[in-house]
Amino acid sequence: MEEKEPVKSKPRPIIRLGLFLMSHSLLVSVVCCTAGILALLLLPVLAKNTYISENALMPGSASPMLSSDDVSEASRFVGKILSLNSSSASLGIEIPRLIKQHITALGGEVNYHEFRSQLNTFRPLQFFASPDPGIIQENSSCMSYGLNTVGIIRAPHGDGKEAIVIVTPYNSGKVTAGEALSLGIGYSVFSLLTRVTWLAKDIIWLASDSQYGEYAGVAAWLREYHTPFFGGLGKLHSEICCEPSGFSEFETDAILETGISDTFRHAGTMAAALVIKVADSSSEFEKDALSIYAEASNGQMPNLDLVNIVNYLAVHGHNLRVKVEKIQSFLHSWWLWGLGGLFESLGKLARSLNPQWSFGISIAEYVEGSATLASSLYNQALGVPTGPHGAFRDYQVDAITMEFSRQLSPGYRNRQTEFLMRGGRLVEGVVRSVNNLLEKFHQSFFLYLLTSPNRFVSVGVYMIAFALLVAPLPMVAASLFSDASKLGSMNEQSTSGPFSKPALKFRSWKWLHAARTVLIVQFWGAFMTLLPYFYCHIPNSSPMTRLLIWIVLLIISLLLLWLNLGSIFSHGNNTQSQRTQWAYLKSVTIAAAFTGLCLMSVINFATAEIGALLLVPMCLMTVPMKLKGWTLRTSMQVACNLVLTFLGFPPVAFVVLKGALKGFDSISIGEFWTWMEALWEWNSATYVYICMVHLPCWVLCILTLLHPC
Amino acid sequence: MEKTAEDKKRKPSKSEFVFGCGSGFGFWKWAIASVIFRLILIYFPGNLNLASRPEVSTPLTSLRRLAEGYWLKQLSMSPYAGSMYHGSPLLLSVLGPLTVKRIEGQPNYLICSLVSVVADFTSAMLIRQIGQRLLAAYGQNLRSLGLAELFEGSLPSGDVAALVYLWNPFTIVTCLGYNTTPIENLFIILSLYGACTGIAPVAAFGWVVATHLSLYPAILIIPIIVLLARGLDAPPRKLFLQQLSSKAGNDSSSDRHVEALKSQPTPFSLRPVLAFLFWSLLWASYVLILCGIALKNSGGLWEMFERTYGFILTVKDLSPNIGVLWYFFAEVFEFFRNFFLIVCHANILFMILPLAIRLYHRPCFLAFVYMAISSILKSYPSVGDSALYLGLLALFANELAEMQFSFFLFCGYVGVSLLSPVMHNLWIWRGTGNANFYFATAMAYACFQVVLVVESVSSMLNHDRKIRKLSTSMKA
Repeated sequence: MEEKEPVKSKPRPIIRLGLFLMSHSLLVSVVCCTAGILALLLLPVLAKNTYISENALMPGSASPMLSSDDVSEASRFVGKILSLNSSSASLGIEIPRLIKQHITALGGEVNYHEFRSQLNTFRPLQFFASPDPGIIQENSSCMSYGLNTVGIIRAPHGDGKEAIVIVTPYNSGKVTAGEALSLGIGYSVFSLLTRVTWLAKDIIWLASDSQYGEYAGVAAWLREYHTPFFGGLGKLHSEICCEPSGFSEFETDAILETGISDTFRHAGTMAAALVIKVADSSSEFEKDALSIYAEASNGQMPNLDLVNIVNYLAVHGHNLRVKVEKIQSFLHSWWLWGLGGLFESLGKLARSLNPQWSFGISIAEYVEGSATLASSLYNQALGVPTGPHGAFRDYQVDAITMEFSRQLSPGYRNRQTEFLMRGGRLVEGVVRSVNNLLEKFHQSFFLYLLTSPNRFVSVGVYMIAFALLVAPLPMVAASLFSDASKLGSMNEQSTSGPFSKPALKFRSWKWLHAARTVLIVQFWGAFMTLLPYFYCHIPNSSPMTRLLIWIVLLIISLLLLWLNLGSIFSHGNNTQSQRTQWAYLKSVTIAAAFTGLCLMSVINFATAEIGALLLVPMCLMTVPMKLKGWTLRTSMQVACNLVLTFLGFPPVAFVVLKGALKGFDSISIGEFWTWMEALWEWNSATYVYICMVHLPCWVLCILTLLHPC
Repeated sequence: MEKTAEDKKRKPSKSEFVFGCGSGFGFWKWAIASVIFRLILIYFPGNLNLASRPEVSTPLTSLRRLAEGYWLKQLSMSPYAGSMYHGSPLLLSVLGPLTVKRIEGQPNYLICSLVSVVADFTSAMLIRQIGQRLLAAYGQNLRSLGLAELFEGSLPSGDVAALVYLWNPFTIVTCLGYNTTPIENLFIILSLYGACTGIAPVAAFGWVVATHLSLYPAILIIPIIVLLARGLDAPPRKLFLQQLSSKAGNDSSSDRHVEALKSQPTPFSLRPVLAFLFWSLLWASYVLILCGIALKNSGGLWEMFERTYGFILTVKDLSPNIGVLWYFFAEVFEFFRNFFLIVCHANILFMILPLAIRLYHRPCFLAFVYMAISSILKSYPSVGDSALYLGLLALFANELAEMQFSFFLFCGYVGVSLLSPVMHNLWIWRGTGNANFYFATAMAYACFQVVLVVESVSSMLNHDRKIRKLSTSMKA
């Protein structure tokens, strides 16, 4: 970042440009940061309408074939499941058996898949690793089993190389009406697809057991699907578990009964997966509604085309109301309404100047868009999948969860068949559309944010906001660096002759000292990342106590660092070298923050965006408190610094944000720890970001604040 | 990921550079610590899985491929069958038995990793020796030019370079990554050591084996010959002659005159060069005979040339690596392939002569520049090549003290080495990126290496200019 000092000859234009930007870094950074925040607020206005990008999909071009026979069959199936629910005790066995009977009757292939509940293990670097087959056997307790039922239809026109997956999760402990209905939709579509002639991809129906969470069952099945395992279930048992389990006995019975082998059945590679759920609560609208959940782990999204066809078919073909998640409190925030009004009037003004400029949107649209965008951003930033579809994304399969919710109405019985018909036809349409695909989804976007079910912001647009936000970082780092080296060299020239003194000789390497400080703090960050791993197994501790332990350990380790390596933080004996030293420290800190943010923006954009909003002002503002006399300006600066640094501490930032969204009376500080634990249980890269980028930068900012200069 | 932690460790190595120059330097402490650190990481049960990283092991250097070749050889097939192995048959005979030897309850390839550790440590010791000689020559030259003040406070560049080599995260990653790069680097450094100490047989041995193993060190023949013929790096000879003539004009009997006479670089002396060439021939024929014996049951020497040097020169394996050629040759039309192969390889050759003329007086530095350039342009580069030239760069810590853009380069290297695995993951595992994402980091890496070479050469030339200015002003 260091630039050539202006010598007699004129430097090259690019260096002159760099020097110009560096000399005006304050102005540039204020302008850039403001523009970055403004661009973020403008995103709902800049969102584009979605369109089907892949021509082969042709959604809605065929009329639905799902007949009322299929639906009444499915309705009977739902009735059977609900009656089992009330009568039988061993539901975990009876429902798979029922599903299996029905699938066999339809002529599909069927098998059971048995899985164990897994404790979530802490693997912070999982993001970099491929899905690991080695973890199948780890952490399994022999007591708890789940049982997935898998039905497969072989496509009459296919070569068996590709498949479409339909997932219907149900809780084998207690089946709710919604889950029974989702099984019914799955069954109706499955029974139709056994008869159709147009099928080119195999169909897999996975009735996954969600007693250990909806995600776990699907993930376990996917893991086994993608790791060839030789030998049957019985072998698996004898290897892992010495205790015979009830299920395996049942398994052998079933095998003897029906003559179906217990081999794990495979179809081709998966082209797409649909998770079908039916909400137990009723829709608040006058129509049946469909919620779409798309976020997978680490902010990965399925291809936009998949969302598009579901949305297109639901709205145009089946008269459903489609919604995506929103942050409710945004809908009532006065400042968003104000901004929306401003943008609307600007849009009107622009249209009055030139009728072709039509970028204005109405206030309500803007507020809705912002609420959806914020929720989209937050869910991606969390890095925790919003449903069982997340498991598919780890294997590069595009998947979404479709959650239907019923309209509240008196005629329940009639409504049920109509609802089953509507859901089944939608799923059939999506399957038929995906069936047309020649290659896997690749046409449309993978990196996008939704502002409504039919509007999106693509990566090319939302990157601008982030790029503007982080652009000042390298500039300020370079300007600090060159100022510090200029100051150093001026001192040297005044004190020494042609022969530079040894201490002054390595002038251009002086930043190494600051780099060492940054390095040590980074190591400390790595240590803090791994710390919860060691004490998370303390039994009977509330999140609050764990958080307190964490904070106490954080402070103790920082103090230890300070005491042992105190000399590092206060290097240099004369004031001059100290004055340059803090500039070097800040410069290297900013460079580290920039590297971290850029890396994170590649891994999970949303985290980087939210992180940059917190980190960039803090890093740019920080200045030693002892720098100048106490004028109004410096005291303002110090106050700003203190506020930003206080807000930069992750628990405080969490509590303040949460409080601002949901009101301060409902939150407890312990919630932060629950949130953090969720992050690391899901192996979210956000956790690593917080501990390895945010926290070290925060500590370094404090070091700069307290710098004795 | 592992690299994140590794790359952070890059910093202490360089901070030794400046802050370790006090009295308690503790070279041995740090050197032994680096060896222990490697041993701990070797035993580390975690799945670091470095061997499968494209940044670390290439088709030429991967030990897994070597084990495969050894397996084929044991089945009395040609080790080159199936395009798996592309290395030397001698390595196969030496390292092959070690790859199959397992110690109960220990990680695989343990013995090979230990060999890598030993090779790294030996390389560092040789670098240290080279550095000590270079430093002594530097001091003597400056004294004879009457600039002894300039020498004050110089770093012990040998120690610094050895520690930079040992603690460089690139070296550590390479050492743990089950590949033969540490051994190749050892022979390159050995040839330079032989040339610096004037032992022609050692220089010839190192050069022949290094060339045999990885072909590119062949271009080191120029710096080695210059080193043997003219001695170690020194300011341009003109300066000494000027000094001499001015001293002769003023006072012919001063002791400084005698010293200058004694220490001025000798003109080109032919004898060690001839000895070097003779020994090279001898070693080369010896190596070829051994290879012939090793391959007598299979295709023979011709197959070896075709499968090793042919594989390097025709860039047959287009799997991604941190170089720039794979992408280019994946895109280029088959029709133009031969033409561009010649262009790409001639790129290295074009730069040899101009650099040799400009840096004639600094053969060791010339060797560093050659290694850096071949690391940019070679067909299957890995971070081990960077480890080698960064270690050699630190030999010139005193001369390059004024180097510009050091912070920029440092940030660039850290950034690229963190970004590269992320982009690879995005492309290969998540499927949301594509080859361009990864290739972008490869290009950025190449750019940073180019900037490093340009800046180091220009600051070396600036250093020479400074010496000339000072010595002429002294004279005036």
